[in-house]
Amino acid sequence: MNRSAPRSIDQYLNALREELAGEDSALIQDALYDAEEYLRAEVAAHPDKSESDVLELIASTYGAPDEVASAYRDTEAKVKAAMAPPRKIPKTGVGSFFGVFLDSRAYTSLFFMLLSLATGIIYFTFAVTGLALSAGLAVLVIGVPFFLLFMALTRVLALAEGRLIEAMTGERMPRRPVHQSSAAGFWSRVGEMLRDRRTWTTLAYLIFMLPLGIVYFVLAVVGFSLSLGLIFAPLADIAGRYGWFGISPDVHVNPAWLGSPWALPFMVLAGVVLLTLLMHLARGIGRVHALYAKNLLVARAAPLAA
Amino acid sequence: MDDSSGKKFQKDLNGGLVGLVLLAILEQSAEDLYGYEIAKRLATANDGISIFKEGTIYPVLRALSAANLLTSRIVPSYSGPARRYYRITDQGRSVLAEWTAIWAGTRRFVDRFIATGHSS
Repeated sequence: MNRSAPRSIDQYLNALREELAGEDSALIQDALYDAEEYLRAEVAAHPDKSESDVLELIASTYGAPDEVASAYRDTEAKVKAAMAPPRKIPKTGVGSFFGVFLDSRAYTSLFFMLLSLATGIIYFTFAVTGLALSAGLAVLVIGVPFFLLFMALTRVLALAEGRLIEAMTGERMPRRPVHQSSAAGFWSRVGEMLRDRRTWTTLAYLIFMLPLGIVYFVLAVVGFSLSLGLIFAPLADIAGRYGWFGISPDVHVNPAWLGSPWALPFMVLAGVVLLTLLMHLARGIGRVHALYAKNLLVARAAPLAA
Repeated sequence: MDDSSGKKFQKDLNGGLVGLVLLAILEQSAEDLYGYEIAKRLATANDGISIFKEGTIYPVLRALSAANLLTSRIVPSYSGPARRYYRITDQGRSVLAEWTAIWAGTRRFVDRFIATGHSS
């Protein structure tokens, strides 16, 4: 270990994440979560000391990142040996294709896609109204306080969106808003806010959420209803034959073979494949969107890649 | 404990002991405890000398919890991420009794060979 000892909670967590690179992501998340709980409690318990002073002693109490990492690795190995892994998602071929149904992330991502239309409308309205009013009021006395209020709410929304994305996709997002350096004066803080890249990327995220939300929502709804429609086509066919459920005779199926009973098994098969593809798509969109959100909402010089 | 052989010996010893100590702490505690509290109880009992690093207890807590020896609940906190409070289960109590007996036996056995006098 020729790296300097971490001097802040974030540095410690990053160092721990690096030490655990390659381990199971849930283990990494647990380890980071535990460390964050301990470190924040330790910092809060010593209000007279600065964060870096507290962190200086952490290696002798909590343990250096490499020690803690090896403790998690060892315990994980033991627990894994003692208990069979609960559910193994198959790695190859057909298994991995349909294994997506066992992945809770696919379901939560699908839910996120449906929800994103609503959040998109809210964010877009908020951002556009706030920007327009800020610009319009800038010449008046209340312009600056209004802008500050707008910025504060923007950060709260960014945090909330981050929590939502972490819940839906598992991508680790900040648990608390960014601390503004409080040393500088009022005007320099306003200036700093205006120069901060994250201010503008956050607003861009809020605005782009509407078109993205529309695309996500449409994909989810169309994919879901189309595949369910195909899967339950035989039921509709039976219901139609018994007259429980009328299909207007004006409806002509084209090509004609689609209307024959022989097509039904293929329709079910196509529906199942389509539904599975939709789940893969949802999971993929969840991952990509989480990275996109992380880049726009979380501006940090420290490594994001982990 | 600076040399690596001492460190390794301590680490090997701690393997099972941490679980025993954690179960004992939670058994004696009247209320549920979260990780940081448990760590601090250990640290004060240790008198500053760290037999094990506080960071190593968290994965053991999770492992005990996964083995149904502990239950846990989550409570939001102002100072950081939500805290996970642990409580010992009935199964945990019986395991603790069993482990305590094993530990007492082990200690007697080891002492028979190495504890010639009372410290010097």
